[in-house]
Amino acid sequence: MGWLFILSLIVALALVYRVLGDHMHRVYTGTKHNAVERVVYRLLGVQPGNEQRWGAYARSLLAFSIVSIFFVYALQRLQDRLWLSLGFAPVPDHIAWNTAISFVTNTNWQAYSGENTMGHLTQMAALAVQNFVSAAVGMAVAIALVRGFARRNSDTIGNFWVDLVRGTLRILLPIAFVGALVLVAGGVVQNFAGPHEITTLTGNVQNVTGGPVASQEAIKELGTNGGGFYNTNSAHPYENPTAWTNWFEIFLILLIPVALTRTFGRMVGQVRQGYAILAVMGVIAVASIVLTNVFELAGNATVPQAVGAAMEGKDVRFGVANSATFAAATTLTSTGAVNSFHDSYTPFGGMMTLFDMMLGEVAPGGVGAGLYGMLILAVITVFVAGLMVGRTPEYLGKKIGSREIKLASLYFLVTPVLVLVGTAVAMGNAAGLAAMLNSGPHGFSEILYAFTSASNNNGSAFGGVTVNTPWYDVALGMCMVLGRFLPIIFVLALAGSLARQTPVPESAGTLPTHRPQFVGLVVGVTIVLVALTFLPALALGPIAEGLL
Amino acid sequence: MNRLPSWIRQHLAALRAVAVLTVILGVAYPLVTTGVAQAVFNGNANGNPALIGQSFTDADGDPVAKYFQSRPSAGGYDMLATAAGNLGPEDVLDTLPVPGAVDDEGHPDTGKQSLLTQVCARSAAIGHLEGVSGARPYCTPDGVGAVLKLFPALGTPTRAVSVNQACPAQPFVATYQGVTVECGKPGEDYSAGRTVPIRGDVTAVVPPDAVTASASSLDPHISVAYAELQAPAWPGSAACPSTG
Amino acid sequence: MTWIASFPDAVKKLNPGTLWRNPVMLIVEAGAVFTTVLAILEPGVFAWAIVVWLWLTVLFANLAEAVAEGRGKAQAATLRATKRDTMAVRVSGERVSATELRQGDEVVVVAGEVIPGDGDVIEGIASVDESAITGESAPVIRESGGDRSAVTGGTKVLSDRIVVRITQKPGESFVDRMIALVEGANRQKTPNEIALNILLAALTIIFLVATVTMQPMAVWAKGANPGIPDSLALTGDGVSGIVLVSLLVCLIPTTIGALLSAIGIAGMDRLVRRNVLAMSGRAVEAAGDVSTLLLDKTGTITLGNRQAAEFLPVSGVGEHELAEAAQLSSLADETPEGRSIVVFAKEHYGLRERDVHDAEWVPFTAQTRMSGVNVGGREIRKGAATAVMKWVRDHGGHPTEQVGAIVDAISGSGGTPLVVAQKDQVLGVVHLKDTVKPGMRERFDEMRRMGIRTVMITGDNPLTAKAIADEAGVDDFLAEATPEDKLALIRREQEGGRLVAMTGDGTNDAPALAQSDVGVAMNTGTSAAKEAGNMVDLDSNPTKLIEIVEIGKQLLITRGALTTFSIANDIAKYFAIIPAMFAAVYPGLDALNVMRLDSPQSAILAAVIFNALVIVALIPLALRGVQYRPSSASKLLSRNLLVYGLGGIVAPFVGIKLIDLLIAGIV
Repeated sequence: MGWLFILSLIVALALVYRVLGDHMHRVYTGTKHNAVERVVYRLLGVQPGNEQRWGAYARSLLAFSIVSIFFVYALQRLQDRLWLSLGFAPVPDHIAWNTAISFVTNTNWQAYSGENTMGHLTQMAALAVQNFVSAAVGMAVAIALVRGFARRNSDTIGNFWVDLVRGTLRILLPIAFVGALVLVAGGVVQNFAGPHEITTLTGNVQNVTGGPVASQEAIKELGTNGGGFYNTNSAHPYENPTAWTNWFEIFLILLIPVALTRTFGRMVGQVRQGYAILAVMGVIAVASIVLTNVFELAGNATVPQAVGAAMEGKDVRFGVANSATFAAATTLTSTGAVNSFHDSYTPFGGMMTLFDMMLGEVAPGGVGAGLYGMLILAVITVFVAGLMVGRTPEYLGKKIGSREIKLASLYFLVTPVLVLVGTAVAMGNAAGLAAMLNSGPHGFSEILYAFTSASNNNGSAFGGVTVNTPWYDVALGMCMVLGRFLPIIFVLALAGSLARQTPVPESAGTLPTHRPQFVGLVVGVTIVLVALTFLPALALGPIAEGLL
Repeated sequence: MNRLPSWIRQHLAALRAVAVLTVILGVAYPLVTTGVAQAVFNGNANGNPALIGQSFTDADGDPVAKYFQSRPSAGGYDMLATAAGNLGPEDVLDTLPVPGAVDDEGHPDTGKQSLLTQVCARSAAIGHLEGVSGARPYCTPDGVGAVLKLFPALGTPTRAVSVNQACPAQPFVATYQGVTVECGKPGEDYSAGRTVPIRGDVTAVVPPDAVTASASSLDPHISVAYAELQAPAWPGSAACPSTG
Repeated sequence: MTWIASFPDAVKKLNPGTLWRNPVMLIVEAGAVFTTVLAILEPGVFAWAIVVWLWLTVLFANLAEAVAEGRGKAQAATLRATKRDTMAVRVSGERVSATELRQGDEVVVVAGEVIPGDGDVIEGIASVDESAITGESAPVIRESGGDRSAVTGGTKVLSDRIVVRITQKPGESFVDRMIALVEGANRQKTPNEIALNILLAALTIIFLVATVTMQPMAVWAKGANPGIPDSLALTGDGVSGIVLVSLLVCLIPTTIGALLSAIGIAGMDRLVRRNVLAMSGRAVEAAGDVSTLLLDKTGTITLGNRQAAEFLPVSGVGEHELAEAAQLSSLADETPEGRSIVVFAKEHYGLRERDVHDAEWVPFTAQTRMSGVNVGGREIRKGAATAVMKWVRDHGGHPTEQVGAIVDAISGSGGTPLVVAQKDQVLGVVHLKDTVKPGMRERFDEMRRMGIRTVMITGDNPLTAKAIADEAGVDDFLAEATPEDKLALIRREQEGGRLVAMTGDGTNDAPALAQSDVGVAMNTGTSAAKEAGNMVDLDSNPTKLIEIVEIGKQLLITRGALTTFSIANDIAKYFAIIPAMFAAVYPGLDALNVMRLDSPQSAILAAVIFNALVIVALIPLALRGVQYRPSSASKLLSRNLLVYGLGGIVAPFVGIKLIDLLIAGIV
């Protein structure tokens, strides 16, 4: 059944690939603004026709994100004085700060437990809104980079406000609305009920709580956000009630990142280039999903062997296989939602989820972030491979010179440095070590996982680690901010520098970037670079545990 | 307006954008979704209680035999405190409670059970309840993890301790590679030894889902195997409470 | 220069002040210093072995550069000899040292004297020995005016007297630049080299971070396993400094870091060996990127003169008769066309050259536009159709329509018709054809496979140009080209994002040479042309442009291939070093020791030794350049990936295992 589950997902994604990809192409290249958008632009006080240089684009993006952080922070701190607080106290300052950053950076790391911390208004107006707009920001950056490749001799890369509004209103909102209703049909809750008690069959009292869950759940997956309404996230029966809603949530997670490759191909005028990038993502994703399944189903570790299956931290309706598939999907993208708890995975199964994130979440990655991350890897690959064919490397007609490789290298440096330095600091520090739940290499994996997840804006956790301490809230908050915005600035700068170039026409001497050869090469470069960077850390964590 | 520095203008636009988008996405969207959901899927939208697992225990926490027992839950089936166990696949070493010791608040020391011991204990208890063998690989007959600490950590062992079995328990094996196996002394530091879980040669009867904590801590389901194990103890119906 | 001779230079380059230009090797040197200190504090065989091999790693890198530079030094010495003690005589008769000459000064050089500086001949004509620069011993003619007026300082006048106007600034003569070039002194990094350096720096930072951050993790892992005794690699204080440095040095891209500058120097050297001087490395690199090649028809694509290819008689006249008349009329004609008619008649009609007595030769003039001979009562003329036909009519003849038809057909095919007539009768037409050099079509096919478009530049009319273009197999042509057309074509190509290469020698080529991305000036050309181009071909062989492109590509391929090799090497090194460090704490990690290396020490040492030796092993490749066969980018990549990618993964597994066996055997 597990294989059919994976196969049907691939078929479903293939079916909507062109439709959605072409739709997004129209959204981001169209020149008309609809009535609602015109009103929005007037309220914002921006001229939608004004194209921005990369610097202005980046400043708008950062301004929007900074204001968002303050807004989300304020709503959490003031929730007891606003409506629908359910009687919850203000969120403690360090948790509120961490959560604000976490949702604005599309990480959705949760240092809190939703059902007993956040009122409904906070969930809706602060967290769910960021689920939309942080995703739209990621898509805007990806589109800006694609424009860099597609344009010639241009100083500008688009208008941030237009990309933000269109991505939100024309792509995310309609799909999320339909998705939410589908989820409700499957049993996801959508009301404004607060905590209340019910009496069970045996006469005991059980606490139950509702909320606007489906509307948040849909965008949580669609926008590869991952912050659950409830603490147990997509394992919770009111977030993910059945095997088919599980399928549907994975489908939503993969939908936009996959279809964006089509949009990319359309925008650069060569659909096959989009297919090549899709193929790279596909090869890595399928390999990772299959390996995660294999490791989890094999159940090689003492406890799973004692149990007879790796069922600890997994629900029966998903089983081992469909939990593993969800785990791979959520870490291959920047989602971080979980329907099972990675901390209790087999060592190598858990390592796969870590490795997926270490890849930079590019297969297919977060909405937008996956595409721009993958394009950066393609640029680095083109650089080395391009030299090997005896020309100044070029990708899609744009030369990869020293400025381009500098920006790509800086992009590539950010997350490994944050992950490794963050982990090292935590390991050498009592406040860092105090958070470990498990001992031995597994305890180390928990901390490595936390910094990997935060720096890559994933947001999932090797659950055991106790992260709602001021030290972790600050440290991981730093990783989230730097791990999100530094790469974005480098990507936008790269977009600006590419857009200015005159493209080099293709010839027989040009390295073809749409063939299996190149696909294989990007896959190889991605895996080798990441493996080389993280092998020492992995050796002391999951590999040591798995080879005990 | 235009005389303002550009960075202030950017932030004003940002402020307005956050406000406008919050109204659309944070208020209108969930309200409309709720309206439609309530109109079309009223039962589901208000939370179908059948989707939520519960514990079928009496006031003392003992299983009520006429119901299928649910899976272990790290959150005690409390929807305001959902949680998973989060212990790792190699979490096999218990911290034995030191008799007489108390913590800062005066509670007696309860030690800490490893995931392996939790599995073994649940298996033994269910076996006892259902009248079948509760034995499992890597578990001692008395229902804790069958784990030895060997000293020295490298090379031929000269000392072996069954660390999860508190003295005066009988170690699950008498000797290991010719060395007499000791029982575990609460409070003693065995961290210098090499950890060796012993598989043993038993086959588990109690199914996997029965001995592991779920992800949601609200898992409404149990496996068919677990239901069949419980069915003889519950004559008259094969209905699974979780699908009720 | 042998490697041993380069050794002192390699040692001198250990100076950090020199090494800072190469950050990768600077880090290795810092590591070597650090481990030396550690080895002094806590001596041991293992520690000192590592120290020695780390220093050798730096030394080998320096050696690569020193050997590459050494190859140019001999040539530089020869060139320097030409600069010594040159005296100059001003037109005023004043004798000054050559070094005092300024731009615009005029000097007199007579037979036997060395020309004191670069300049143009403004008066006189002389034969000049340029062997000091070109290596070519045959003297060349330099004269005032026209395209052969440039002279180079350091060359020697063999006959006559010339007045030269100096065009160089002091110390910036052609010879000065050549010396700097072949020595690799103040070599500027090229754009691709800079970009590659950035990538290498990024990789170095990543590995530095990966290695340094491993320390707290290792300390914790050791602490969590208190029963594990300390090992040489890992104690309670973490991984030992020596092992940590060893790991770092093995991981950072030392192979390519060590060879990068040698590759660049050797690339320039390969050009110098082909008698091409590139004024900047940038130009060499650009050569690899060229996508449009502008080639002058004459001298590059064709042999440069029209040759008899066919005798086409009018009806009633035999071919043989026409051939005899044509040959007879050309016996005294020393133009290449005339010679070719004599030769063609001999080769195809068996007509021997004859000594003709009492002949009255009629030379070609611009007015008559024909030449011929009057002998034994026969009056034979050959020349342009209109001129000869008029001459026939004047002698009472009536050329038939057929003549016009033949003439038009020849013109239409791009040839030049030469009508031959005797008194009142047109005998027929000689078809003169521009002959394409042998092998050109194959070269152009090759270019096409490399993705390079070839454009022929000619002053011919479009019809003639097309015929030659078709025969030679070029992709396009520019007919009736003026210098302005040429410049416009280059600009057009560049606006389309293409890089353009061309050759030129005349002063009116200068703007186009300056505009093109790779402009190769002929050494025989004017100083304006040489100044405008960014390369000078001392052999003045326009076909060499094709070789230049190949050298440019080879340079980039060598860098890319060795980078790939360097990174691919890391995989095996991890498999050697990680189990060596951590298998003591986590015995399961010994499963990663897939090479089954003898002991942790020998594993680490073997990796470090391999890392150093591979530099030495690859020096010849870096100097020679990776083999380049013109083919499509896709095929090139496949081949290089197989050799340097896959090879880079496999080679260290084999190498490290062998070294480990040796170490185990010795210890």
